[in-house]
Amino acid sequence: MTGRKRLAGSPDLSSSGLSRRGFLGGATVGVGGVLAADMRAVNGLRAEEIASELRRGEKHVILLWLAGGASQLETWDPKPGAKNGGPFGAISTNVAGIEVSELLPQAAQRMHQTAIIRSLNTKIADHGRGADLMERGRLDDPGLKYPDLGAVVARELGRLESTVPDYVSLYTSTEGRRKGTSGFLGARYAPLFLAEQMSPPNSALHESLSLDQHRDRAALRDLLSKRFTADRRNSTVGSHNSAYQRVQGMMASAELFNVEQEPADVRARYGPTQFGEQCLIARRLVEAGVPFVKVARAWWDSHGQNFETHMELCADLDHCMSALLDDLQERGLLEKTLVITLGEFGRTPTINASLGRDHFASAWSCSLSGMGIRGGVVHGATEPEGQTVADGEVSAGDLFATILSAVGIDFTHEYMVGARPTPLADFGSTPIETVLA
Amino acid sequence: MRHTDENSAAAAVTEPAAQTTADATVAFVPGQLKVDRTLRLPSITFCMAQHVQSGRVFCGGSDFGLHHFDPAAEKLETAPLSESRHGSYVTGLVNAGGTLVSGGYDRSLIWWNAESGEQTRRIESAHTRWIRSLAISADGSAVASVGDDMRTRLWDAATGECRLTLEGYEEKTPHGYPSMLYAVAFSADGKLLATGDRTGKVLVREVTSGEIVQSLETPVMYTWDPRARRHSIGGIRSVAFSADGTQLAVGGMGAVGNIDHLEGKSRIEVFSLTSGERVHEIEDSKYKGLVERMQFSADGTWLLAAGGDHGGFVSVWSMQTGKLLVQEKVGNHIHDFDLLSDTSLVTVGHDHASLITLAAADPSVEQPEAEQAES
Repeated sequence: MTGRKRLAGSPDLSSSGLSRRGFLGGATVGVGGVLAADMRAVNGLRAEEIASELRRGEKHVILLWLAGGASQLETWDPKPGAKNGGPFGAISTNVAGIEVSELLPQAAQRMHQTAIIRSLNTKIADHGRGADLMERGRLDDPGLKYPDLGAVVARELGRLESTVPDYVSLYTSTEGRRKGTSGFLGARYAPLFLAEQMSPPNSALHESLSLDQHRDRAALRDLLSKRFTADRRNSTVGSHNSAYQRVQGMMASAELFNVEQEPADVRARYGPTQFGEQCLIARRLVEAGVPFVKVARAWWDSHGQNFETHMELCADLDHCMSALLDDLQERGLLEKTLVITLGEFGRTPTINASLGRDHFASAWSCSLSGMGIRGGVVHGATEPEGQTVADGEVSAGDLFATILSAVGIDFTHEYMVGARPTPLADFGSTPIETVLA
Repeated sequence: MRHTDENSAAAAVTEPAAQTTADATVAFVPGQLKVDRTLRLPSITFCMAQHVQSGRVFCGGSDFGLHHFDPAAEKLETAPLSESRHGSYVTGLVNAGGTLVSGGYDRSLIWWNAESGEQTRRIESAHTRWIRSLAISADGSAVASVGDDMRTRLWDAATGECRLTLEGYEEKTPHGYPSMLYAVAFSADGKLLATGDRTGKVLVREVTSGEIVQSLETPVMYTWDPRARRHSIGGIRSVAFSADGTQLAVGGMGAVGNIDHLEGKSRIEVFSLTSGERVHEIEDSKYKGLVERMQFSADGTWLLAAGGDHGGFVSVWSMQTGKLLVQEKVGNHIHDFDLLSDTSLVTVGHDHASLITLAAADPSVEQPEAEQAES
């Protein structure tokens, strides 16, 4: 990694001779009045950057987004016997000295691959702003909309000439549904957002065309385009061509979303639930080179019947997360893929009269597994009743810096947004070294 | 019912109080509910048993232990029964002829000496998953337990021997998630046993053989949200036989829009056990949440029900019309109750107990039409 500043936004690399995959929506994108550009468009790529580009596509992040806010007490920070510890016990894991909730028996046997952070204090306990904070590592400033984690990873780990999307977000439940944002990075890094179905819409070949006809048409269009652009170098023409490439890439990628392509035993391993199928899609996507996949599992907002809700949702999380880790491991992908479980906040240690737990952002947990992570580690602690962080407090920015560091992205790099240097992680953020490999 | 009298099985059935008019003696029908006293409890309290031998009320809850109090004392106060505890929430408690039997989420059953607090028997793995509720036969000889292993077990109350293990429920909901078996009750004659699960399935069996004599469905009690939140809420939380064993009331909650909360209408379905037909379908338009406990009057003319969402309620429903007779908001969510006498009720719930008087309607006051009932 270099320490240079980067001008953010969509590049026009046609002048460098290295045509980064284009995107729909034009060459240069301004958001909120901020004009962004990329220094590489001016400098071209140096040798070390070429090597870096080649490594792109080898690193991935899968974010299992626990929308609505999972209870830390029923997952990663159990407190059996505490006044409000709840009815569930704590179970040993395959790492001596680490216990998790009895609702996560399969994850407990994969603790050597996982680091737990038990000391998030993110302070914001409403869904919208809490999600803004945890997705972006900071809240927007007036006039400046920050990109979320997926957009940053897509920007930093997206591959040259990739035929697959850089950022895919699956969120099929309607409650708390959020598309995600690329902020000042522009539309190029916005997610391919799948909400109503589990594959990209309108990606099938038109019924009136055969595959051969489709290929022939593309080849003819490409030939004519090259003739047209031979003596013309401008961004509009380049953008037009790259838009076609992107659409063709999307059509070619459509099969990645089809889990029926998987053997029956692999599908059975992930189970019959929608979340299981989406985790399997996530594995197929990273295997094909997609840098960032978000799979949202809603909805954990258990104001009533918290324990029953977690018996259902933790069963889903435990099974699907474990199947995903195993599958990635067996395919040699786990060392290249960071798997995160995170939501917008945790839940109150206090149990309300509906046997629910309410919103709570003062002392909660998340997990990191796989690439760049020292497995079998717990960072931080909460006090015995779980009301406050007792040790190792972690902010949203610290977590963002940790995630970026784990996948080899220098979180101190700065985008130049107009004249404003903007680090990838918020100012003052510090990665949690204890969980980094 | 949570108590038995060693000498009289009939004591398990509350005898109706009588009210004498100038012309005749007529059956007591509650027309008023009045919360007389409340008591702060040491934990979220899920279950209670009246110990008729000592006059005390025992209860169990989220601190894993049992506590007791004297409802007749001038000053209400709780005391722990013992230093010994369950390993998780205590969710079922019955009085078997003076000996207390408790069950909990730690999957164990414990027999207690109610005077000394000594554990006289402990069965560690009575079920393989959480025990949700216990019931005691009217003669005090049999304890029934239900758990999330979806089994019903019948225990000899005196010896602790498991006489019968009954299956018949799916371990998973139709949507692939763990199911739960919440509710159990004996008929007054001890011959029938009813159970109800999360998905709204009721099984009524003969106690001696375990043979299923009725299978009933109350699907509205289970809400699966397939789109917004993708999980479920609800389930049958209470069952109660009429004293003559001809009717069964099933309690829970109606369809829920936002399953983050207990916001469904409190719901009771009453079935004829001879025909299997639904006699009453009651949804309370005022009070929301789960119906956690029910009890028929001895003559079967009315049904006492309690539960709640955040707040608690006690309601009395006519079993002749399905209409509401009287109801009252009572503190926080009520998990259990028992009749101390014909006209006196004790409830336990989220953080306190309430002593409530049931009184006949004041004949001088014209009673309004019960508009809340939707039967």
